[in-house]
Amino acid sequence: MRAAACALAALMTLAALVYADAARAQFDLSGNWVGESSEDPLEHTAGGYPDMFAGIPVNENGRQAGLTAPGDVMQELNRQCEPWPAHYLLIGPWGGRFAALRDAAGQVIAWTLSSPAYDRLPMTIWMDGRSPPPALSLHTYAGYSVGRWEGDTLVISTSLLKDGYLLDNGMPSSNRETDTFFLTRYGDEMTIMLVVNDPVYLEAPFVSARTMKLVGGLSDVNDPILYCMPAETIEGFTDGYHSAIQLPPKEAAQRTYLQGIYRLPPVATDGGARTMYPQFAKQLVGYKPPDCKLYCAQNRRVPEDAISR
Amino acid sequence: MGVRHIAGQAAGWPCLLACLVASAALLPGVPSAAEGQDEADAGAPTSAQVSAAAAAAANGAGHAMRPRPSARARAPFDITGYWVSLVTQNWRYRMIVPGHGDYAGIPINAKAKRFADAWRAAADIAAGRQCEAYGAPALMQDPERLHILWQDDETLRVDTDEGMQTRLLRFRPAASDAPADGRTDGPTDGPTDGPTASSLQGDSQARWALSAVANSLNRAPEPNARLYGSLVVITGHLMPGLLRKNGIPYGVGARMTEYWKLHALGAAQWLLISTKMTDPEYLAAPYVYDSIFQKQADGSGWDPSPCSLTS
Repeated sequence: MRAAACALAALMTLAALVYADAARAQFDLSGNWVGESSEDPLEHTAGGYPDMFAGIPVNENGRQAGLTAPGDVMQELNRQCEPWPAHYLLIGPWGGRFAALRDAAGQVIAWTLSSPAYDRLPMTIWMDGRSPPPALSLHTYAGYSVGRWEGDTLVISTSLLKDGYLLDNGMPSSNRETDTFFLTRYGDEMTIMLVVNDPVYLEAPFVSARTMKLVGGLSDVNDPILYCMPAETIEGFTDGYHSAIQLPPKEAAQRTYLQGIYRLPPVATDGGARTMYPQFAKQLVGYKPPDCKLYCAQNRRVPEDAISR
Repeated sequence: MGVRHIAGQAAGWPCLLACLVASAALLPGVPSAAEGQDEADAGAPTSAQVSAAAAAAANGAGHAMRPRPSARARAPFDITGYWVSLVTQNWRYRMIVPGHGDYAGIPINAKAKRFADAWRAAADIAAGRQCEAYGAPALMQDPERLHILWQDDETLRVDTDEGMQTRLLRFRPAASDAPADGRTDGPTDGPTDGPTASSLQGDSQARWALSAVANSLNRAPEPNARLYGSLVVITGHLMPGLLRKNGIPYGVGARMTEYWKLHALGAAQWLLISTKMTDPEYLAAPYVYDSIFQKQADGSGWDPSPCSLTS
């Protein structure tokens, strides 16, 4: 009897430890996170090339919409401060601040993700097991996000997004897009993998990933918070208050824009799922890009002038 | 209340001691008093370990601990099979050979720039060094297919069709399965400095970072409770090589820490490899990049190709 009681107590202790261990896997997101990985340095900062869809599983709708998107649309007064859809967390340059919303018992009922810039709206990730509202509910740039834990990974499902851009070169995203984020923390670093499904403009899921790093106080996050004040844009004039994206005029000849710099053939720049896979590289055998003359060392850590000394 | 009564009064101190012994066996990084010398069981518990620890506690001692399962048996996910690169990022630097002088995205220092500016592919091709761009730091960025299999119970083998390379990820028997804590390396992690010869793929030490046991809705693990976690790989003893086929170098002191993680959505599975590379000789800051692979049903797309510096 004594041994049985002892065994029961030991088992309950073990169960408590196991339960606690599972809880520990649900890591704390709180804090300021900034991008650490180096992929696509130009696209993440200054913006991508107008007709560059290589590696994007764009379908014909998306390709046509991207190629015909007016390059100066973001200069329009009513769109200069327009935010990006939620996928901008991985496509754009900003990290953000995660904070917990807790109930009276201290349980996390939601995570909030704010941004240091005007162009990504705050997100609320509901962790209380709720379902998203119906598909005809209000669509916003931040969308509606619900989260769940899969062991040590927070899986966020975002829907109810507004029409927007997947990339700032005119590649569109629709209000039927759904995003799935996988967040896994390793000490002061966190990997985020994003799966974008868009039945309107993509022929396959668009998958990307990024590593973020936990930093200290708010002052460490990408310098000052960036606001946006709409202003009339005059060609060649800078008012110092906003930095609307300036894309070259959209013309049919733009299909050769990237060829002019990198000599990439349209079969590559037109994108599509096939351009994501290794076998596509076989079609480019013999292709030789010119020596680099532009943005050859752009990197947030090591400016171009720093390594040219 | 009932639990406290049983544990504190009916069972008494011997039982409390047994609980402590069992607890110590489960705490990551804390060897149990009974098996002290065996770091193997200090990691997150598997269902089997839990059962063994409970049995030991019930016997009032910790002598019944079973041998630690192999790395293969402890795997929290099945990483084996065929995988294909998804080149959705850094396309211009991965699918084609970047132009001479195109160093964007890699935090090289001035010495690396001088090296790359002076580098010419023709000279290395003539010298038979085509594979210098297929070392471990560059290999996972190549557009390629992977075939991952267990070479033995403690070694994962990763074959690539592009460049026909093989990486061996070796698990050390004493390595802890504790959660990844963000260390890039340390006295007990990764290859140690020593006489090990450098090689193209270097010496890769692997461990599982298991940070959860079971469905958190359950108060106790089920017999076949699912384990979650990541594969942590630390690589050193690398021969000098190229990060890009336009001459960006890395040196003998380069080390890399990789986190291999499986993600699934519906029937699709992806392998995310997040890499942080340091190189005191040629990098001004850590080089961090993420590679994504998609699970394949079989090896039908497998296309072995020799090393090349021109494609």
